[in-house]
Amino acid sequence: MQTKGKHRLIDIRHLTDSTYVLQMERNGLQFDAGQHILLGAAGDLNQREYSIYSGNRDEYLEVLIKEVDDGDVSKKLKNITIGDYLQVEGPLGYFRLDTKLVPDKKFLFISSGTGIAPFHSMVKSHPELDYTVLHGVRYGYEGYERSHYDKNRYIQCTSGDETGHFHGRVTDYLKAHPIDNSTICYFCGNFKMIREAMDILEKKGIPHHQLHAEVYF
Amino acid sequence: MNEPKTVAFKTLGCRLNLYETDALAAEFVRKNYKIVDFGEPADLYVINTCTVTNQSDQKSRREINVAHKANAHGVTIVTGCMATNYKEQLEKNEAIDYVVDNQHKTSVLAVAEAHFNGELVDINHFDANLFNYSPADTTFHTRSLIKIQDGCDNFCTFCIIPKVRGRATSRPPEDIFENIKTVIAYGYKEIVLTGVNLGRYQHGAYDFERLTEEILEIPGDFRVRISSIEPDGYSESFFRLFNHPKLTPHLHICLQSGSEEILLKMRRMYTARFFKDMAIKLQQMHPGFNLTTDIIVGFPGETDDQFGETLEMMKTIGFGHVHTFKYSVRKGTRAERMEGQVASHEKTQRSEEVRKLADEMKLSFRTSFIGKTQRVLVEKIRDDGTASGYGEHYVPVVIREHGLTANTFYDVMIEDILAGDEPTLTGTRVVETN
Ligand SMILES: Cc1cc2nc3c(=O)[nH]c(=O)nc-3n(C[C@H](O)[C@H](O)[C@H](O)COP(=O)(O)OP(=O)(O)OC[C@H]3O[C@@H](n4cnc5c(N)ncnc54)[C@H](O)[C@@H]3O)c2cc1C
Repeated sequence: MQTKGKHRLIDIRHLTDSTYVLQMERNGLQFDAGQHILLGAAGDLNQREYSIYSGNRDEYLEVLIKEVDDGDVSKKLKNITIGDYLQVEGPLGYFRLDTKLVPDKKFLFISSGTGIAPFHSMVKSHPELDYTVLHGVRYGYEGYERSHYDKNRYIQCTSGDETGHFHGRVTDYLKAHPIDNSTICYFCGNFKMIREAMDILEKKGIPHHQLHAEVYF
Repeated sequence: MNEPKTVAFKTLGCRLNLYETDALAAEFVRKNYKIVDFGEPADLYVINTCTVTNQSDQKSRREINVAHKANAHGVTIVTGCMATNYKEQLEKNEAIDYVVDNQHKTSVLAVAEAHFNGELVDINHFDANLFNYSPADTTFHTRSLIKIQDGCDNFCTFCIIPKVRGRATSRPPEDIFENIKTVIAYGYKEIVLTGVNLGRYQHGAYDFERLTEEILEIPGDFRVRISSIEPDGYSESFFRLFNHPKLTPHLHICLQSGSEEILLKMRRMYTARFFKDMAIKLQQMHPGFNLTTDIIVGFPGETDDQFGETLEMMKTIGFGHVHTFKYSVRKGTRAERMEGQVASHEKTQRSEEVRKLADEMKLSFRTSFIGKTQRVLVEKIRDDGTASGYGEHYVPVVIREHGLTANTFYDVMIEDILAGDEPTLTGTRVVETN
């Protein structure tokens, strides 16, 4: 059931200089992990889509946002004060797990930057999930709340330094490693990464109905 | 007795708008209004606008001027998607009396009545309801359009529809069944299921497949057509429904681009590969199936090679008809903020290339019907006494015989094709079925 309303900001966690988590009241909003909301400061006509970062059993609602240099909403939301209201509409979208497959299948989550957000929600919402998260960032310090993932299931790919588990892009990682053809693969982030990653996996023989993408930009 | 008031309607854009105008017009007739042609002097003008491209905005504005010229003292109500998108701007236009957004479109008659009664009209005091249209007994068409769904949650980066039509909402199945039974009782022989994103129909346990399946089981001599549909939201098992004699073998599935990269940038919910496999499967399951599509050329960043991929895809699939759109920036969409906007002359050239190829494919597809039969629903008797209508594949047919009756099915042997912009099949009756 979709709702549209004002949610009070409870907390803001600054994970890096530019990336932060907004924690707000949930107000009963029901969602499937992977879905997104439309979000803006209350009273501001400009809203943007943000994947829900929190799990579907959490009492609050969270989003993970990167402040973009020439951006509008991502900048404004960074400066919002605790106690202020946010305009929230949702949940929206069809990027979600086929829960029938959760008990028996392996899931590979391929993300760049804040594209890890929906996977954070999926992992938190389905503790039984057999997953691996591939997280592509420039530098190791961008492993946003990596302790929230099982350390054997989180693989950070850093292209700008060698502090990650793998030095290079997620696409380099995918090329260099075998992937079981029955794996269900989800992609989230910028379209270039998704395009290349999908291509690599298709060439490795993963049927395209097992590939699911959420494009941020 | 007072002379009945006259009302003129103009509809721009999609089938959903056609449906909504039909339903509104029928309500006005029931209230004793007389419908006159648009452009003639009338007491009231209702313009149901579209805003999907810049061109639609321009056309909508032109029609508002046409109404104003025809009778500057008439009341003009502007509704539909442009009215929703540019509400405040239009409210300042002195040629317009009322701007009624999509949420309040069902209240157009009530707004008009309140106005003629001399009441002060505040649109927001009327009910906001997307489906509260009563079935139309007489419409501007032979087919009865049935609205089953409104709005869209896909948020494709080029598209303004989620802003103006709102979130995806499905009409309760019982209302739909009731509506269909009523229009069949009125004598309609073809119903067209209409909505913004039909494949995402979901109401309780009903998805689009189950809904369609049950509609096909409604008794009566009628056929069912599905209007434009997105490629996502239903599974392949849906295609088996086309074995049912009542479901016409035609689907308009929007491809938009044959380039994987452009589809991702558009945030479409499928890949080019998926679309191709699905189309081929459908054509194999139902030979001769009429698959038609929409294509957008000149999306931001579209290179020559990516455009070439679209042309290749068209050739591989062989569409029966292609509706080409030159990409136009819609304010507030994600694509508006993208780099690499394509020059206008380039878009025009690409759209011309698509059109040429599409015309060739259309002629070849339609020619393939020669020597086969089509069940034609006659829509009108032409001036020369012959009859015209559409076969089940949604291809226009002229039956070269006299004395036939409109709104009747005839099985026709296709003998020839009349070339032209809209290649039309011609033939003679095999057996009279009615
Ligand atoms: C379904 C969906 C879910 C999304 N979820 C998230 C999310 O969980 N977290 C998030 O940070 N963003 C997310 N985004 C992107 C988000 O909606 C905004 O576009 C982003 O926050 C920038 O907004 P803005 O108004 O500041 O600038 P905009 O004018 O929207 O964007 C300016 C430019 O910034 C770049 N950009 C956009 N998003 C990002 C990003 N995340 N990282 C780096 N560069 C970017 C693009 O090149 C874009 O053209 C999502 C987008 C979609 C479509």
